[in-house]
Amino acid sequence: MNFSDLWIVNELKRTLLVDDRYMMYVNGFINTLKITGGALIVGLIIGIIIAAIRTSYDKNKETLQLKGGIGYGILSIVNWICKVYLTVIRGTPVVVQLMIMYFVVFASSSNGVLVGIVAFGINSAAYVAEIFRAGIMSVDQGQFEAGRSIGFNYFQTMRYIIIPQMFKAVLPTLLNEFIALLKETSVAGYVGVIELTKTGNIIGGRIYEYFIPLGIVAIIYLVTVLILTALVGKVERRLRKSER
Amino acid sequence: MNANCLIDVKGLKKYYKGEEVKALDGIDLEIDQGEVVVIIGPSGSGKSTMLRSLNLLEIPTAGSIIFDGEDLANPKIDINKHRQKMGMVFQHFNLFPNMNVLKNLTIAPIKLLGKKKEEAEAYAMEMLERVDLADRADAYPSQLSGGQKQRVAIVRALCMDPEVMLFDEPTSALDPEMVGEVLEVMKKLAKRGMTMVVVTHEMGFAREVATRVVFMDGGKVLEQGTPEQVFDHPQDPRLQDFLSKVL
Repeated sequence: MNFSDLWIVNELKRTLLVDDRYMMYVNGFINTLKITGGALIVGLIIGIIIAAIRTSYDKNKETLQLKGGIGYGILSIVNWICKVYLTVIRGTPVVVQLMIMYFVVFASSSNGVLVGIVAFGINSAAYVAEIFRAGIMSVDQGQFEAGRSIGFNYFQTMRYIIIPQMFKAVLPTLLNEFIALLKETSVAGYVGVIELTKTGNIIGGRIYEYFIPLGIVAIIYLVTVLILTALVGKVERRLRKSER
Repeated sequence: MNANCLIDVKGLKKYYKGEEVKALDGIDLEIDQGEVVVIIGPSGSGKSTMLRSLNLLEIPTAGSIIFDGEDLANPKIDINKHRQKMGMVFQHFNLFPNMNVLKNLTIAPIKLLGKKKEEAEAYAMEMLERVDLADRADAYPSQLSGGQKQRVAIVRALCMDPEVMLFDEPTSALDPEMVGEVLEVMKKLAKRGMTMVVVTHEMGFAREVATRVVFMDGGKVLEQGTPEQVFDHPQDPRLQDFLSKVL
């Protein structure tokens, strides 16, 4: 029996080599990374802003109420908007949000990757915001008082004292959110983006065989996740060293 | 208000839940330059709330706190500027766990007073020397004992060159054998003429170091005077009762 007659070798050839199909995986994976990376940045930015608004409302409402003026009114309205946003985003499936973005909000655009970045970014922001908020709340109130009593204002206390401590606390949870995000982008095929999952699907359709094409997809996701996990483990160890 | 007065508290009130809980119920207190005022009283008497009101960590419901010619209770003033001149030491130290001792001491002078790093560090080392902790400048708070942490916390406040130091039960969270080293630092500070307001259960310290002892209960100042007056000739029945339990 010849080596090249083996079923698996034959299937791998059909999946990867014929018509240079490996390039389809490369391009699909690039799209997946584009959406994940873009959404990650959008999610972090919006998430930090929302977490900042929500925690500053919780921590400052008493002072602002006493101070009078419109500060309290504005902050409570913005806080309310944030809460509605969190409720809607976390209460609906990401595929539905993605399709609404693609077919309704950005109906005039056919750039699926860009719409994906926006949709997944807005979705991820809701989770990131709550992770940051929980992280800020988990820093001992005494740290906050120490910062304020020494003369730092609210934002300086956040920046120099609270946020550096918060980051360490939330890093593992944040990583989990990014991993979830990477895997969630697999539904981008719903709006015509040819990302990694869709690629496997397409190739499977061409060769009338799905096991190998989708298996390869699964392995690529798994390896990416493992690399991400190892990376954050390293960062975490370095951060922790500062306390010993 | 006399010319030496540093902090003038008038009619200070702090209510919770409407008027249901009166943590502070009309406090009048003048703190003069160079005084060491020790506040004693049973738990729940409002003494910590009083102290924390002085730098607005508790926001008073009514009354005024005149410091440096401004009323701190007025929400329009810049409280951060005034807090820089009021050092505070907490029961649970509240050192920044992610920074080493030197960074703990220099972050505020660098960021708030605009000091150069070298200058702030030199000053911090000088202050650390005074509490015998210069060799621990590189240590992180988790590597220090309770007494060492509290001494660093005192130095952290001192590095801002405050006009007054507020101590909120500074020895209550310490193991008994570490109380002495912290009180020793506070005594030295008092000798150097620092104005201090101290909430404590250490009656020995109050008797030895205080220029004035203030007894609080039920959110009110019930009696005050020199340590001799308060400890040896208490007038108020509740003070007599309190002293009979703690002495």
